[in-house]
Amino acid sequence: MLLANMRYGRLVLLSAALALPVGASASGCPGADSAALNWLDKMSRSLYQVSYHGVVTLQRGDDMQVMQVSHAVDGENSSARLTQLTGQGAQVERRDHPLHCVHPGHKLLQLGKDLHAGNCGIANYYRFSVAEGERIAGRKAVRILIQPRDMYRYGYVMELDRETGLLLKTQTVGRGDKVLEKFQFASLSYAPEQSSATQVNVVHQAQHPHPGAANSPVLVATRWEVSWLPHGFMSTDSAAGGTARRTYTDGLAVFSVFLEELGREIRPGEGVVRSGGTTSYTRGMDLSGQPVLITVIGEVPINTARMVADSVAWAQ
Amino acid sequence: MSEKMRESLSALLDNEANEMELQRVLKQVEGDEELRLTWARYNMARDALSGHQLSSLNVDISARVRDAIAAQGATDAVGLRQRLLRPVASLAVAASVAATVVIGGQQLAQIGSDPYGQGAQTVAASASPVGLVNSLGATTVQASYGNQSVPVLQPATHTAYRELARQRMQKYMQEHAEHAALNSPQGLIPFARVAEIRE
Repeated sequence: MLLANMRYGRLVLLSAALALPVGASASGCPGADSAALNWLDKMSRSLYQVSYHGVVTLQRGDDMQVMQVSHAVDGENSSARLTQLTGQGAQVERRDHPLHCVHPGHKLLQLGKDLHAGNCGIANYYRFSVAEGERIAGRKAVRILIQPRDMYRYGYVMELDRETGLLLKTQTVGRGDKVLEKFQFASLSYAPEQSSATQVNVVHQAQHPHPGAANSPVLVATRWEVSWLPHGFMSTDSAAGGTARRTYTDGLAVFSVFLEELGREIRPGEGVVRSGGTTSYTRGMDLSGQPVLITVIGEVPINTARMVADSVAWAQ
Repeated sequence: MSEKMRESLSALLDNEANEMELQRVLKQVEGDEELRLTWARYNMARDALSGHQLSSLNVDISARVRDAIAAQGATDAVGLRQRLLRPVASLAVAASVAATVVIGGQQLAQIGSDPYGQGAQTVAASASPVGLVNSLGATTVQASYGNQSVPVLQPATHTAYRELARQRMQKYMQEHAEHAALNSPQGLIPFARVAEIRE
């Protein structure tokens, strides 16, 4: 009831504001919590600019993985490493990532001056608010509540280090406030990492979309396009062209679309597999006479994946 | 207009209405000119404040939503009372109908305009698949969030597609993680979602 009254109060203000000239009220971002958005900005920068190492857990349903993460800044570059302590025991490394290289997903989180200029960016698609955080890995945290404004994305509860802004915990929240996935630091140190005795089975160098990158993308014969995206999602690729994959982000969620041209007809249909916050949706269909298999993988609801797959078309 | 009705209306506007509130508004809106005008005014106020272009398109789709609900009630042969006893299903129905109201309205209004002013970044914010899917009523969305797929498939195909989706997830998850790791706030953590990391 209290909530409803507050909401009603806000509407009275809204209605009253309509009496003002539209130009005066159109700037600024109503409902955008600037404190929360400043934290988001800080979080996005701290991920690359702060040196740290620690142990992280990732929970999905009954499954829990434990891993070591480390991040070191050396001059103009940063290096990151993730080592699985459970399961496969793989290690992923990213060496010499330039600090000035900010990818689209992070640009979307760094609103800064745009917000004052009336460009609400990500605040158009999520409601943000700040709350008292808990203690995580021995650090005092501030809690950022992130609710989607439409049904095409999940919500998040994030806890950031009060001093550094580093993301210490994320809960991905699906429909009905169900927690789909939980990632959190179990221990954290901002000191240089000591050498560890971890036994590693596989080492993978994380890719970076640079000109002359070692991995050449898979190509498809015909140019294709995704003709519908939920509002606020943008391409992470500079030039999509004839590649078999497209990736999109709204700053918090990421999904990729893969297209395979099939050599023979396929019985139309669809299949879904979910794991934690990840949805993998595969659709077989006939696209203007060409049988194709479209797969949408990402941290979005099934409905979003289905609608994106629906909208795939050959480029004109 | 009663206080309760204002609250329901405002909840609906925020996409937070429960089924009772939705029913209350839809029942009332038919014969209540003041309620219809208030709804339109709230929407305009919100659009204006959130920096969207004011839409001159005045579309009242409440009748269509009401019909869709009635049609669904008839085909399901399940009354409101029974649906309320199944909270999960009824929530999904309420939410998807509320979404129909909001999305349907927004998308009709979007034809020929770009309310977010970011047409260059977001690909084609047109009405295309959304309007079609959601204007059919509650079934599509409800099913999407459940465990069963919407197009009813032959059992063999259904199983085959589930297996196909599983294989594709395995095949593509790492490539997705490469890009998620660069464009989401958790750093390299997306790689932890990959079942088996390849060199």
